[in-house]
Amino acid sequence: MSRPSGRKAPPKGEYIETDSGNKVSRRSAITGTANITLGGRTVIMADVHLRGDLHPTRSTTSTTTSSSSKDVTPTSISIGRCTVISTGSTIKPPSRISRGAVHYYPMKIGDNVFVGPNCTISAISISSHVHVGANTIIHPFAIIKENVKILPNSVIPANMVIPSGSVVGGRPARVVGEVGEGWGVSGGGASGGLGVGGGGEKAWVEGGDLRELVRSIK
Amino acid sequence: MAQSFPYTYYSCDCYDSKAATVAAKRASAQLQPEEDEEGRTFDPRNPRSNYSLYPLEHLLYCQDCQQVRCPRCVIEETLNWFCPSCLFEVPSSVVKSDGNRCTRNCYNCPVCTSPMNVSSLEDPNDPSTSGGPWILSCPYCRWSTLETRIEFEKHTAITAQLSRIANGGKPILTAKERDKDREKRMEQDKRKSRDILSGSEDSPTGDQQKSDEVPSHDELFSNLAAFYKSQLAAQTPSNPFSPHDINFSSPSSFSRIMNLYSTTTSKKQKREKPTPMRETASTLEGLTIHDPSTDAAAIERIRKDGWSSTLSPTQKLAQPNPNIRFSSELRPVAALLCTKRGKRCRNCRHILSKPESKITSTRYKIKLLALNHIPRLSLRALEPPAAPGTPAPPPFDYSALKSGIPQHFVLQLANPLFDPIRVTLATPSTTPGKVQSRVTILCPQFEVGANTDVWDDALSSSVSPVKSGGASSSIEAGKIWDRGRNWTSVVIEVVPGFLRDLLAKEGEGEELDEDEDVLEIPVFVRLQWEADVNAEERGLGDSMGKKGEREKREEAFWTVVGVGRIVRL
Repeated sequence: MSRPSGRKAPPKGEYIETDSGNKVSRRSAITGTANITLGGRTVIMADVHLRGDLHPTRSTTSTTTSSSSKDVTPTSISIGRCTVISTGSTIKPPSRISRGAVHYYPMKIGDNVFVGPNCTISAISISSHVHVGANTIIHPFAIIKENVKILPNSVIPANMVIPSGSVVGGRPARVVGEVGEGWGVSGGGASGGLGVGGGGEKAWVEGGDLRELVRSIK
Repeated sequence: MAQSFPYTYYSCDCYDSKAATVAAKRASAQLQPEEDEEGRTFDPRNPRSNYSLYPLEHLLYCQDCQQVRCPRCVIEETLNWFCPSCLFEVPSSVVKSDGNRCTRNCYNCPVCTSPMNVSSLEDPNDPSTSGGPWILSCPYCRWSTLETRIEFEKHTAITAQLSRIANGGKPILTAKERDKDREKRMEQDKRKSRDILSGSEDSPTGDQQKSDEVPSHDELFSNLAAFYKSQLAAQTPSNPFSPHDINFSSPSSFSRIMNLYSTTTSKKQKREKPTPMRETASTLEGLTIHDPSTDAAAIERIRKDGWSSTLSPTQKLAQPNPNIRFSSELRPVAALLCTKRGKRCRNCRHILSKPESKITSTRYKIKLLALNHIPRLSLRALEPPAAPGTPAPPPFDYSALKSGIPQHFVLQLANPLFDPIRVTLATPSTTPGKVQSRVTILCPQFEVGANTDVWDDALSSSVSPVKSGGASSSIEAGKIWDRGRNWTSVVIEVVPGFLRDLLAKEGEGEELDEDEDVLEIPVFVRLQWEADVNAEERGLGDSMGKKGEREKREEAFWTVVGVGRIVRL
């Protein structure tokens, strides 16, 4: 689960690397790029769908002409640093129907967030150091705080608030435990060993600094 | 919590060290009778092991005891309570008075446990001033309080509103109103009985109607509580030591004072048993008489509405009143509070972890992790390198180990300490359990470098031999596989056992227990190193120990490495 398939298989040139170190797969589907911000060293894998076209419309309706709305580009998805979105996941800003019109709200994903393969995410905010297991569905307007582990195949109901340091799982998801004090701490000795043939397992831990993982993705 | 393969669990021997004799006795009963405590190998399948194995992240380290501390051998102390849904802190006084549930708008669905939303039922054609009426609705299973006909006037203070509305929309009396009502009706009953005695028969019919209704759970409780309170008050009319109750005219206090001074009478009085308390006699006193017609009605209802109208045991148990039967009786469940807790060592009471008391903060004031004191063991399959030109082989499938085919794994030890350590690994040659796999650690003794600055590794290239590829280093007994700044890896050869042999031997009827096909290797780790005396015992050793004095340290523990799942051939 933690090693999504398809990371090693594609040949070189799979990722486009930006100046700030973001790695975006050529096979990802990103719409509305102007409304998406990536914090740097963030990985968007193949078949990931970022729905940046679903941006907040309120600000543009107030400014009538399209030229004036250009200098205030509404952000629909903002993703922090060293965040990894695995293959097949969809990030879609949450929407609400109010007075007969659909309104989208900007969503925020923090730093060092790992989103497993084949997830559908519509949370309003995901804080830093969150690990989302594979095949998880996060319904609109859920708020996920820091240091949360979401077990694979969970469904987070709409508007749910997940307090920091909890482990959630199930359909619908409920808090099933707490992450240990060592969550996200890679320990003094874990670094090194990756890349060269001889190392142990991964040099990154769930919820920890994902920089090593990002570096290893080519 | 299930972890993905491969994983490593660390065993905390806090229980066994205390009850070593008991454990040895039990172990010997299961294994060989001659085996003593020292020679006993750790069995991850022992039911007791379930409670001593933890991932490294969950373990703390007590620097004074120089021991690992697991959730079993720490004392937790609650710093504060908060609602997981609205993230507001709840003072401990409120927790004591109102219970451990959120008293704001946080409710969980009684059907599916998902948090509920407050939504408006406002008619767009006829907007109301408040935007209401409001309901609680579940975004996951679409249950809403409309199904029990509860609507709210405001979207705030749902708890207060809900406590005043019964299912079906009828108002619930508050505790004070209930008390007043009870007194009034008691008075009426008295008058009525007097009337009956005097012969007049014009009792008010309205009250009769009211008392026929089955009283609610809360009502019954308050009636009972009031009854027993009055009974207790009648039994012991005054608290003998409460200052405002000293009343010399009352017979009880008089007798108490008499008892204080006269020894002869007091003994006689003490032997006297208190008169037994009267039991409840009427509905107003909390008496409920089981009515068989309610059972008949329930059966009739199940016949009419089917099983879907009844509740599952988990749904019932989550309710404030667990004795309800039907979905129409469901009430939204207030969110349970969470706590922030500090942890102390059970032996020496030193604080091991203390989070910041602010709810929103995720930082710790004190956090002594085992991660920083104990090497991390990690396992990885050793894959044959892909020949140049061919596509890379698919990643190793840990959940499909093939029986009987030797497979090499790389076991890496990473040292978090600032001193180099000498490691001795040991493992039983066959894994415990029904499926016996053969395990060989090719190099059980080796050294791991100190956890020095990261740049040392990069600058001194001679320390870490740069390998051209995994294949060039041969798999040889007695030689380490690879080493780096603060880590060393060795090769383990594993021959997964056969599932089918076992089935054939034990007969067709015998099935493997759950997770019996999981290959778990118990590994005993022994560390030896020399540490600065002063480095860890700050302050204590300063006066006595000279600077730079070093002492030998040793640490030994069992770990369990979960390799993978053996597949049926």
